[in-house]
Amino acid sequence: MAPGIVNRVVPSSAFALGVARVVVHGTFLVSVLVTSFSALGQLPVTILRPTGAMKFLPWTFYDQLLTPAGMTILKLAMVVSLVASTAGLLTSVSTKTSFLMVLFYQGFVRSFGHFNHDEMLGVYCLAVLAFTPCGDEFSLDQKLRKIRKDRPAFAYAYPILLMQLLMAWVYFSSFLIKLRIAGLSYLSPDNLPALAIYHSLDNLHDTAFTWAFWLPQVKGYLPAAVALVLLWEFLFPLAVFFPRLRWWILGGGVVFHLSTLFLMNIFFPHQLALYLLFVNWDHLARKFKFR
Amino acid sequence: MTRLHLKYALLTAAIFLPLLWAFVYVRNVYPVATWNVMMAGGLLERGRSYWILRGETVSGETVDIRPINLTNAMYSRTWAMVNATVDNQSFKLQNIHPTNAELLRQAGGLEHLPPAARLPDLLRAWGNLYNERLPTSSTERLKAIRLDMYRWEGGRYADYDKFVESWRQEL
Repeated sequence: MAPGIVNRVVPSSAFALGVARVVVHGTFLVSVLVTSFSALGQLPVTILRPTGAMKFLPWTFYDQLLTPAGMTILKLAMVVSLVASTAGLLTSVSTKTSFLMVLFYQGFVRSFGHFNHDEMLGVYCLAVLAFTPCGDEFSLDQKLRKIRKDRPAFAYAYPILLMQLLMAWVYFSSFLIKLRIAGLSYLSPDNLPALAIYHSLDNLHDTAFTWAFWLPQVKGYLPAAVALVLLWEFLFPLAVFFPRLRWWILGGGVVFHLSTLFLMNIFFPHQLALYLLFVNWDHLARKFKFR
Repeated sequence: MTRLHLKYALLTAAIFLPLLWAFVYVRNVYPVATWNVMMAGGLLERGRSYWILRGETVSGETVDIRPINLTNAMYSRTWAMVNATVDNQSFKLQNIHPTNAELLRQAGGLEHLPPAARLPDLLRAWGNLYNERLPTSSTERLKAIRLDMYRWEGGRYADYDKFVESWRQEL
């Protein structure tokens, strides 16, 4: 994509990319801060099933790590790195260490359960930020350096576009896979109620909403609702290129993710937080005379 | 093409090529993801098993315990972790943990291993975490913790809670 077009589609300042860094790294920082790593360290290592690249690490490593002390050390290291990368301190190093540590931790927790997708978009955004100049503004580095780096607008605009395209891929590919695997049977009236009720029966989910049990009473309307969700996933890439449609599409996303919470007890908070990547921070900064 | 363009082209390829591979083959190989969440939808005819974690207190009460309050790192994953533990999936790996390999050897192979062979360890960990939050004199402490398995046979929107079996761990 030509640089001129990129710069017109997304914010193209060092400030906007700096805010994107705070959004992504800050999301993981909050997530790590509210998680009890020492409790995780009490789980038995014998139920661990290393997934994907996590298989390359030896069992002796997991034996050492999966203890309350080992996990507390990991948490401390992650917090230090994420505080630095969120604040934009030693950004070129701290964004890389935060990316690597979050990448490892997310693989680790996936080795207990299943491949939950909530945090994955954020992990890819961390990868983008680790190799782009996201500390040039809105960072402690900038305050300490006091010398502006002279880079073309494309250097800041393209990473933002890449992260927005990643989010568009998440929803668009999800739509395509549903069509490939289930086809039109995905619009069956029993699809949503059966799935939602299954996720509302146990007490192992994070919330205990029971709205799912009401769905069979309205199942005649559900194929239309599911079709609307599929259409929304299909159209999501338009949010990247058409600012006027953006807020309708993102608003639909908020409604969709809240629906899965109340109907299925499944929630994607990390992914929702990353909707902030679609805010035109340059425009807001001008409007509120922040810069 | 400038150095910046080349760098960004490489970054884009390094991220998107694995994602395209995962999409084509519908495979999740960490850290490469394909967004196949709920791709097959729900089938009413298909039966489903599920679990309720409960504790038996010193005072004799039975209380429901939400594991998310004990190990919140397992957010959105607890049910899959329990599913895998009951199914002995940690014994079905190519590279098994040495302790599991020894248990497997003692049992005489996977087919002789009882279901949920490592569930007592998981229940004990949760039970201890629960009790650690209470004073030692509290009658709300658990003397045992158990995982009750139920089944919804499917076919109709009723009879969701057919009891199957229970695993109990003294603390």
